[in-house]
This record gives sequence, structure tokens and C-alpha cells, in this order.
Amino acid sequence: MKPKGLFYKFGFLSAAVFSCAVMSVNMRPTTASAIEIPTEVTEEGKNVYKKYCSPCHGEEGGGDGPLSRSMIPKPRDFTRGAYKFRSTPSGSLPTDEDIFRTISYGVPNSTMIPWDILTEEQRASVIPVLKSFSEAFEYREPDAPVEVGLPLRPTERTILEGKKIYEEKLECWKCHGVEGRGDGPSAAEQEDDFGFPIKPFDFTTGKFKGGNSPTDVYLRFTTGLNGTPMPSFAKELSDEERWYLTHYVMSLVQPEECEE
Amino acid sequence: MKRTLLLYILSWFLLCNVLSSKGLFANGLYTEIEVPDGGCVAGYVKCTGNAGAPSIDLYAGWELPRASQVISEKLTVNKVNNGVKNVIVSISDIEKGKKGVVPQIHPVIDQQRSVFIPRVTAILAGTTVDLLNGDEEMHNVHTTSMRNQPFNFGMAYKQRISKKFDFPETVKLSCDIHKEYAWIVVFGNPYFDVTDRNGYFEICDIPEGTYKFRVWHEELGKREKEVMVRAKKIENIEFVYE
Repeated sequence: MKPKGLFYKFGFLSAAVFSCAVMSVNMRPTTASAIEIPTEVTEEGKNVYKKYCSPCHGEEGGGDGPLSRSMIPKPRDFTRGAYKFRSTPSGSLPTDEDIFRTISYGVPNSTMIPWDILTEEQRASVIPVLKSFSEAFEYREPDAPVEVGLPLRPTERTILEGKKIYEEKLECWKCHGVEGRGDGPSAAEQEDDFGFPIKPFDFTTGKFKGGNSPTDVYLRFTTGLNGTPMPSFAKELSDEERWYLTHYVMSLVQPEECEE
Repeated sequence: MKRTLLLYILSWFLLCNVLSSKGLFANGLYTEIEVPDGGCVAGYVKCTGNAGAPSIDLYAGWELPRASQVISEKLTVNKVNNGVKNVIVSISDIEKGKKGVVPQIHPVIDQQRSVFIPRVTAILAGTTVDLLNGDEEMHNVHTTSMRNQPFNFGMAYKQRISKKFDFPETVKLSCDIHKEYAWIVVFGNPYFDVTDRNGYFEICDIPEGTYKFRVWHEELGKREKEVMVRAKKIENIEFVYE
């Protein structure tokens, strides 16, 4: 009887493990895991970069292409390995999925368009090319993505709590302004790591640069924006407080102004 | 067949050349040896010309009352002997020397009245630095570096962040909210010092030989000088910014 019981136990265990694995695969975001991102620089990647990216980002990835002169915010300089929109902690390099996401969805309020005119394979092929521009990828590895807790439902209470954090605890208003218009007292003189002037984000526009979902907003102040003055508040806030702040920041959006 | 042979020979020559060139060793490798009777170099860094003038930098802290604002120490010149504070002195071409000891007690960089104290910190690679916030308001600590992982954290009152710096590099540490900054210079060998408020420095236990001493100041720039170090002797040198 005993061996049989054991067998059943292990059988059940392996089934449980298998189903967990299947679930976790299913739960991953479908954007990048569905396609394969090459690890080496390919001919196709080089060609795509040269044709579609280099006019702004430059042949050598220095953010100094011929079109970049008339642009603010400036196209990203890839040589530093500083990527704004990541799921990894402050200062860390981005994962391939993060880069893929930014290429696919673009950056609203800037000249970076969503590159969905390219096929997924073409977008993926550019990623190793971008990474090859920076020696940072030789020295360091991207850290593990930060954990996003279970989302809370936005209520009046969470928004009020978020307002307290915005105004008292983190003093976000110093740069982003009391009404979230990006006009705080420290806003005027901000510079990014490359010495270009940079404006704190105006929340009332509602076009969040890293994506419009609550999780995206949550990730922005948890991971910070590398290469910009926007820090990570991972050490200051608990998971709940981050959702409160997310709800408050998203409540600052003014739909009437957006439509105009 | 012949061509591959030729290629082999050529690449072998190239490899030999690269390995024997001095630049490679001077940059990277540092071997630790016992230094029983090393020499000492002491001296001071001074600034002539418009010396004795108070610090030229702006006042930090935009919302503080005027009385409690602090002058940041961008360029601090002693009025008595023209000594310059916060100059980093190091030996640029040392290949072997004493064992570097990573301090168990972490060096601290505090933010008080929106100014980083101390402004310049020199550390050995592998040292952990503690960053504090002593002000009752929000600051951030933002570093720009390539080899050491940069970071940018918001710091509330009494927050303490420990960060380890593993690679030799000059790291700029800034608070974007108050436009203040400080420097962390990471060295691969233990032969370095930061001048005190009189401009004095001292580097000890140097094996006998001739070395290039380098001084660096954020405003005044770099100077270099060759110094001969003799065993068990103290050598006095002086660097002058004009």
C-alpha cells in the first residue's frame, strides 16, 4: 500500500507544479514573451535601426541624429544605458521586455511614436543593437523586476490618503506642483543627466509617458526614471501607500482639458 | 593554409604588443605586497591669485530663511595659508603597494540644510557609503556613473541608504530638488587622500620609487607632478593652482 500512496502523493505534487508553471506562463504579459528576442546583433536589426531609429537617435546611438536638433525632449542617448521606463529598480538596466514595450507603445508627449508599423520581429531585432551602444551592458546585469502588489480599488479614501502622501510625505509638489501641472518651485531649473533641460510631468494632460494603466503609474515612482531627476520612492512607501498615490495622481487628470 | 598561418603570426604579434604596453597595466592591475619600510609624502595644495576670497558658490536651500542658509563648499580657500579644501590627491601610476583595507564603519554623507556634508569623499573600491538625510524635508540622492550602478532615491527625514561602490570611478551625487551636489571618488588602490581645511594631505607606506602624484579639484581641475619617494623618509611637496 505504501509505495502506491507515495506515488499518488508525488503524482499530485508534480501535477500541482505543472499547473502552477502553466499558470505563471499564462499570466506573463503577452507583449514580449510571445516572440523571441535575439541575444546577438543581427543584420536585420542593424538595418532596421539605421532606417527607422538613427535619424533621431544617431548612427552611434548618441541621441544626436540629424532630426534631434529640433526636438525637446531629446531622443534617448543609448551610450549611458539609462532607460526611463523600466520594471527594474532605480539605476538598474532595463529588461529586454521593457525596451520592447517602449518601442511598441512609444512615448506620448514626445516624438517617439508607437512603432507598430514594424513587425514584432523587427522591433525585437533592434533591442540587441541598442544594448550594443552602451558599455554598461558589459559591466552590469539588469536587476530582477520589482514586485507589484495586488491592485487596490480606487475609492475616495485611497485618493485622500494619496493626497496626503503627495503633499506631505513625499512632497511631490516641489517639482510637479500642487495641482499636478508640473509647475512646482523646483521645476524651472531641472536638468537630465545629459545636461538638457527637462520638465516635470504635467499630470493633468493624462498622457502618462510610461503607459496609462494604474500599474504603469505605480511602476514609475517605484522604479524612478533613470537619467532624469525623478527618483525612486521604493524605500519610502509601503505597497498600499503606492496604490494610494497612484490613485491620487490619476485623479489629477482633467478630461475636459485633455479633449481640447 | 599559408594565409591562416600568416594571420596567426600577425595576431600573436598584436597580442604581445597589447600585453607588453605599459598603459594596460597602469590602468587596471594593482598587486598587493608587504611594504615594511615605505616612504611618506606630505604636503599641501594651495591656490594663489584670487585666494582668500570666500566661497564663490551660491546659497543652497531656496525656501530657507536667509539667516539659516549655508554656503556650500565649492571652492574653500583658507585665508591664512591659501590652502584649498576638498582636493583629492592620489598616485596615478602605482602598480604595487600596501593592502587596501575596506573600512568596517561606513563613511557617511549627510544632507544638512540642503548641502551634502562632506562635499568630497574618497573611498577604496568595495566600500559601502551611508547616505543620510538630516533635514525635515524631502531630498533625493541621484548618482551618475557608468560602471557602478547609478541610483536615484527619494529620501525622507532620517532616511538612511547604504550603497556599495565596486569599481574605480568618479561619481557625481546630486540632489535635484535643491540643485546641490557632492562627489564620491572611488579608487582601486589605497594611496589617496582628501585635503583638510588647511589644504594638507598625507599619503604613507609608499614603496620606494618615482611616482606621478595627481591632484583633482572640481573647480580648479587637475595637476600632476613626479615625486621620488625614499624608504622611511617623509617627502614634502606642494601643489599650486594659479
